[in-house]
Amino acid sequence: MIKENKRAVWVGLFVLIGIAILVVGILTLGGQQKKFVKAVHLTAVFDDVGGLQTGNNIWFSGVKIGTVRKINFFGDSQVEVELSVEESVAEFIRKNSKATISSDGLIGNKIIVIYGGTTDFPAVEEGDKLEAIMPLDTDKMMETLQENNKNLVDITNDLKVLTSKMAAGEGIIGAVLTDSLLAENFRTILVNLNRASANSNKMIADLSAFSVKLNKKGTLINDLVTDTSMVSDLRATLDHLRTTSESTEALTKQLAEISKKLNTTDNSLGLLLNDPEFAKSLKNTLEQTDSATFHLSKGMEALEYTWPFNKGFKRKAKASGN
Amino acid sequence: MAEQASTRKNVFSKKIDKFFTGLADAWNFVKRFFQEVFLPPYEFKEVIQQCYRIGVESLPLISLTGFIVGVVFTNQSRPSLSEFGATSWLPALISIAVVRAMGPLVTALIAAGKVGSGIGAEIGSMKVTEQIDAMEVSATNPFKFLVVTRVLATTFMIPVLVMYTDFVALMGAFVNVNTNELVSISTFFVQVFDAITFLDIFSSILKSLLFGFTIGIVGCYKGYNSSKGTEGVGRAANASVVIAMFLIFIEELLVLQIVTAIRSM
Repeated sequence: MIKENKRAVWVGLFVLIGIAILVVGILTLGGQQKKFVKAVHLTAVFDDVGGLQTGNNIWFSGVKIGTVRKINFFGDSQVEVELSVEESVAEFIRKNSKATISSDGLIGNKIIVIYGGTTDFPAVEEGDKLEAIMPLDTDKMMETLQENNKNLVDITNDLKVLTSKMAAGEGIIGAVLTDSLLAENFRTILVNLNRASANSNKMIADLSAFSVKLNKKGTLINDLVTDTSMVSDLRATLDHLRTTSESTEALTKQLAEISKKLNTTDNSLGLLLNDPEFAKSLKNTLEQTDSATFHLSKGMEALEYTWPFNKGFKRKAKASGN
Repeated sequence: MAEQASTRKNVFSKKIDKFFTGLADAWNFVKRFFQEVFLPPYEFKEVIQQCYRIGVESLPLISLTGFIVGVVFTNQSRPSLSEFGATSWLPALISIAVVRAMGPLVTALIAAGKVGSGIGAEIGSMKVTEQIDAMEVSATNPFKFLVVTRVLATTFMIPVLVMYTDFVALMGAFVNVNTNELVSISTFFVQVFDAITFLDIFSSILKSLLFGFTIGIVGCYKGYNSSKGTEGVGRAANASVVIAMFLIFIEELLVLQIVTAIRSM
């Protein structure tokens, strides 16, 4: 009888521990999969869910916050996904947040990722619809990759043609590779280039020395570069120069007008310079004047010996003799 | 006339006849179990005794086997996963394997070997030594006392044993994963429970109930219908194990189909 009771106790203990393992397992599972927490239900409509299943996880900022509750067809061929999100996390998800389908690792299950959202929008509420962003389509990526592969084949084909031509000595590069004289010329060019680069180095060194001198205080150029008062003086000088050049320009214009007038015969000077008749007449006048002057001189000489003027001349000669 | 007809039958058709007769007998046996189980008197003490023998006494063997299964399965799965750098998925993989299939299956197979053969041999020897007839004569219902108690005990003890096996196998897997990947126990169990669902646990319990019933009913049926003296006892014990194991795999397949259908709903 005692043995039987003992066995009954052992069986009871055995069953109790077995049930405890089951209960702990169920509670842990429920807790981890957010089955026993209050949830807010949101929706998102996708064109293609890419194999998403009921029960897949929902991530927000890298944290699991719920599971996919239901997947239904919507409209023509869209899919409405009902999301069950922990109520305690809902306050961090804003109404302008977006939902996309991603993967838990490279080969993992599909997940819904909620991201974005700004604080100027209120937190989501029961029944809100999130904007669905379609994930990158692997097929499209593969299509692009295929296109790239084709391009790569074309490029390698072209390269093959080029290298074969180069090997045959065609074209400049081929000639350089195969013609020893051309190669020698290139070597000479390179030597010259080397020399030029040495010269340019030297020039740079000179420029460097010059810039050192420029930076030396007390020199005119340094003052020009650094002295701010000189700048204002220079500016004033430049203003003066500008004014002078403007005046010169006006003067030049006037001179041009004068020379223009001088080239015409509608004025005295132009007539004097340009009319040959007038010049001839003037020449005659001058010749006649010269002749008159000669005769006048003769007359005056004669007048010196003529009374009463001779007295006056004598007095003048006397005064100059003193 | 009937005797003449039976002699005319060839060996093949005789075997078909035997198979269907056996199937009908088995069906009647199961039907009788369900009739007797709800009728008084209830042999609680005998059920407890059988629970002790089937459950508590099998615990060390089941625990050791479960632990070894956990360690070995983890170790064997690691190379395949490490080929594409996914050893962090070991807890999830083991959790799915153990909870969904290996826990119930390993427990049921071990129990079929240990308990099923024991039941078959025990009831078989009682049959050939006419102890069952003696019980009937002494106004004791041998079916209720021997069959119902044992089938109930296996039906309820196998699920409990499966719980232990799952736990111990996961602990074995944890020891291996912790040694190689330095994963903490909390991370390990978070990943374990992340991979499974309630459906996995309930299908596991459902399967183990079914496996337990199968082990018990097959052992009892084979023992209860044994003949030809001590040779028959040996045959009954052997057939109990073989048929129980075969049926366990068939049931595993059927339950898997049903659960997969439910999962995809």
